[in-house]
Amino acid sequence: MSLVGELVVLLVNGLQTGAIYVLLAIGLSIILGTLKFVNFAHGALYVVGAYIGLLITQQISIANGQLAEWGFPTLGLGWGFIAALVIVPPIVFVVGLAMERFVARPFYDRPDTDQILVTFGLAIVVQELIHALIGPRSYTYDIPSEIAGGIPFSGPVGVPLSAVTIDVWRVWVIAITATLVIAVYAIVEYTDFGLVVKAGTRDPEMVRLLGIRITRPYLVMFGIGAGLAGVAGVVGAPLSNINPEIGMTILVPAFLTVVIGGVGSIRGAVLGGTLIGMVQVTLISLGTVSLGSLSINFTPWAQVGIYALAVVVLLTRPQGLLGSEEVTA
Amino acid sequence: MSLLELDAVDSYYGQSHILRDVSMRVEEGEICALLGRNGAGKTTTLRSIAGARPPEVRTGRITYKDRDITDMETEDISVLGISHVPEERRVFANLTVEENLHLADVVKNRSNTWGRDLDFEHEGQSIEQILEDFPRLSERQQQMAGTLSGGEQQMLAIARALKQSTDLLMLDEPYEGLAPQIIETVEGAIERIRDEGTTVLLVEQNAVAAMKIADRCYVIDQGSVVFEGPAEELRNDEETRERYLGV
Repeated sequence: MSLVGELVVLLVNGLQTGAIYVLLAIGLSIILGTLKFVNFAHGALYVVGAYIGLLITQQISIANGQLAEWGFPTLGLGWGFIAALVIVPPIVFVVGLAMERFVARPFYDRPDTDQILVTFGLAIVVQELIHALIGPRSYTYDIPSEIAGGIPFSGPVGVPLSAVTIDVWRVWVIAITATLVIAVYAIVEYTDFGLVVKAGTRDPEMVRLLGIRITRPYLVMFGIGAGLAGVAGVVGAPLSNINPEIGMTILVPAFLTVVIGGVGSIRGAVLGGTLIGMVQVTLISLGTVSLGSLSINFTPWAQVGIYALAVVVLLTRPQGLLGSEEVTA
Repeated sequence: MSLLELDAVDSYYGQSHILRDVSMRVEEGEICALLGRNGAGKTTTLRSIAGARPPEVRTGRITYKDRDITDMETEDISVLGISHVPEERRVFANLTVEENLHLADVVKNRSNTWGRDLDFEHEGQSIEQILEDFPRLSERQQQMAGTLSGGEQQMLAIARALKQSTDLLMLDEPYEGLAPQIIETVEGAIERIRDEGTTVLLVEQNAVAAMKIADRCYVIDQGSVVFEGPAEELRNDEETRERYLGV
C-alpha cells in the first residue's frame, strides 16, 4: 500500500467513525443548547436504535434473556439493513417524544444535577431492561450485504500507486450522516420552526406572549435529536459489538463532541465529531511505531487522544470551537 | 360591555400580595393609561391580564370579549388578540431585526396555530409602514438584535408589537430609554392604531407624556386603584397628581 492510499482509507474510516459521534452529538447539543437540558439518557436512545435495528436486520438467538424463557429462543425479522435504516428513525423519534413529555419536560426548570440524576437513572433502567430481556451477550451486526464490498481506489490519474479498497458501507454511513445533518441544519436555520426554537432559547416567555405554543417545537426538536441517535445506533452497530452497556460507552465521546464543537452548534457538532473520529482512527491505525530502540504501540492510546483533544480545546476555547454565548445553528 | 374588564382582582408574587381588589375596564377603541409610582402594581396588572406567570391571580375575574381569561395560558390569550409588550425591551438578541419582526407573524401561519382559533379583528401594521415609521430598523434589518443600542431595541420591541394582529395592545413603559424625537414617533404610531380601531392599554412612569395621548386614566397605588376617569379630569386634579404621581 502506498502512503496516499493509506491516507485515503484513514480519511474514510475517520469520517465514518466521526459520523456516528456527529449523529449523536447533534441531538445532545441542540437539546442542551436550546432546552438547557442535560440528557444522560441520550446513549439509551442509541442502544434502543441499535437493538431495534438488530432485530429488524437479522435473526438473533437469545441465550440468557428472559425472552428465551418466555418462548422466544430466536427473535428478529431478518429484513436486512436498509429496512432497519428506514424503520428505526421514526420509532426512536416517537421514543424521544415520550422521553421529552414524561421525563424531560417536568425537569426543564430543575437544576442540572436533578436532570443528570433522572436521565442517568433512565439510562440504567433501559440498560438493565435489555440485559434482563435479551441477555448480557454481545451481538455483532453483519456488515450489511446490500452495501458490502469495496471500491478499488487507485489514486488520481497519473499518480502511480498500488490500489487500496474502500468499504462501500463506510461511504454510505458518511453520506447518510451528511444528508441528515444538512436536513436538520436547514430546518433550524431556514424555517419558522427553527426560528421559534432559537427565540425560545433566549426568552421562552416572550415567545409565548407572541401567541406561539413553545412546547410543541421543543417536543419536536427532542424527537429529531432522538431520531438521529437512533440512526447512529443502526449505522454505528457494524463498527462495534452491540450489548446493553454500549449506550453508556458511547455517551462519553458524544458529550466530548458537544464540548469540543460548542454547545448548541450543529456546525460545531460536525467539526467536533469529525476531529474525534480522525484522532481515534489515526492513533489506532498507527499501531506500533519503532523509533530506534523505542517502540510504542499507539492503538491503546486512541481513547487518551480523544480526551487530550478535549483538554486542549477547553483550555484554549472554553466555549468550544464553534460555540458562542449565543446558541446558533 | 367593555372590551376588557378586571373584577376585584387579587394577585400575588409568591406570598407577597401585590394587587388588592383591582377593578378596571378598558373600552373598545380608547387609549387607556395606567399610571402610578414605581412598584405601585402597574406591571403586575398587565402581566395578570396577559396570563404571564408569576404573578398568580388568586381571586377575581378577568374578562376579555365576554370570555373569562383569568386562568388561560399566555399563548392562548395572545391569539385572542391581546399583545403585551413587557418592559425592558424583550427582543431576541440572537436573531436579526428582520427575524424578530417576522416572529410577530409566525402564529398566523396555519401550521403554528395548532388548532386554536385566532380571534382578532385588526390586522397588524404592514412591514412597509413599520420600516417607514422606524427608519433605523429599516437600515439594520440584517443586524443581530443584540447589537442594537438600547433605544433601538426598544423601538424593535414596539415595532414587533405593532406588527402583531391585535385588538388590545398593552405597552409597559414604552418610552423608557427613548429620545424625545422617537417618543413622538411612538406616540404617533399609538394614536394611529387607536384611530384604526385597536384599543391601547398604556403603562407609563412618565405620567405627563401618557396623559397627553390617553383618553382615560387609572391611577394605582400600593396595588389599589385610587383614581379612575377621563385624562382631562386627571390633568385638572392637582391633588391626585401630586399625591400619587409626583407631577
